[in-house]
Amino acid sequence: ARAQPKKKKKVDVKREQAQKERMKKKIRKLEKAAQEMIPIEDFVTPPKYLESNRVRSLPPLSSEETERRVLLMKKWSLYKQKQDEAEKKAIQTLIASQQAALKELRLESEELYQAAIKRDEGLFPFERDGPNYTPPLPDYDPPEGKCIDITKVYTQ
Amino acid sequence: DARVSCHRHYRSRPTHGIGKFKYLLPKEAPKKRKDRVQMKAVNVGTEHEYGDINIQMTSYDMCLVEHFAKHVHRLCNRLSIRVNESYAMPTKTNEVLFLEERGSKMQLDAVLTTHQRVVQICGLSSTFAPILLEIIQSNQPEGVDLLVKEHTEADFKIRLKTRPELEELLAQMS
Repeated sequence: ARAQPKKKKKVDVKREQAQKERMKKKIRKLEKAAQEMIPIEDFVTPPKYLESNRVRSLPPLSSEETERRVLLMKKWSLYKQKQDEAEKKAIQTLIASQQAALKELRLESEELYQAAIKRDEGLFPFERDGPNYTPPLPDYDPPEGKCIDITKVYTQ
Repeated sequence: DARVSCHRHYRSRPTHGIGKFKYLLPKEAPKKRKDRVQMKAVNVGTEHEYGDINIQMTSYDMCLVEHFAKHVHRLCNRLSIRVNESYAMPTKTNEVLFLEERGSKMQLDAVLTTHQRVVQICGLSSTFAPILLEIIQSNQPEGVDLLVKEHTEADFKIRLKTRPELEELLAQMS
């Protein structure tokens, strides 16, 4: 550490103040620059996929095959349409039954109705893991291991 | 610009300023700073609406999570729920190592990338919220985790880059 010779108090204070001013200026300059968002790696195509020699050459299809595919597509789209309509109908019935229940509740007691209308504080945060094709086995003994986070840290 | 063309319009002539239209357009506010404003609607009250809600979908499979986010966004559009924004969180990469049976060396098993998409909605009514959650859950694909929570400033700050020099200077100051 630098030895502080016994200089006069004024010079020390001045030097410290000058240092502080310089730091404040630096901070102000850094703060003025707009904050940048972390770039999303998903949206950046890796360069190896941009090569032009990646061409897929498919064999020509016979007419029966195209016919089969067109009919299959028609059946699939009809099936999906029915599924979508059923879902929309289900939503409508849900809403309608909810409204009917609230109407009845209102006729029963105004107080309970008002309490039911209020928003539920315990609803959020709501978490649910997606279903699995292969759920974890109960008697499985996994090998020892660890997980390292190698996400790239971006700094401004 | 009308005044640069060959037919000059003098200030005394009635044709002065002909062709100008920018003064008729609404003024665009200069968009420089990243907005840190979070609009919070009426939280409690007779309206019984929620503020900004984040629907976060996480998965190892990028296509699934993107398709699901698209589905949720279109669902909200169809149900006339206001969608503030729909963005992607930065991708996280994890290296999974496991210990070999006869050995002390860790072997690389896989490199997993975790993708997360967020759909931010606003103005959800308290009666409709459970219905929306039911619909989203019924369409949840396998391997996609759902998290619905209220939007906070911390959620926004995670998306920004860290500024170590600034933080160092601020630590030195105080």
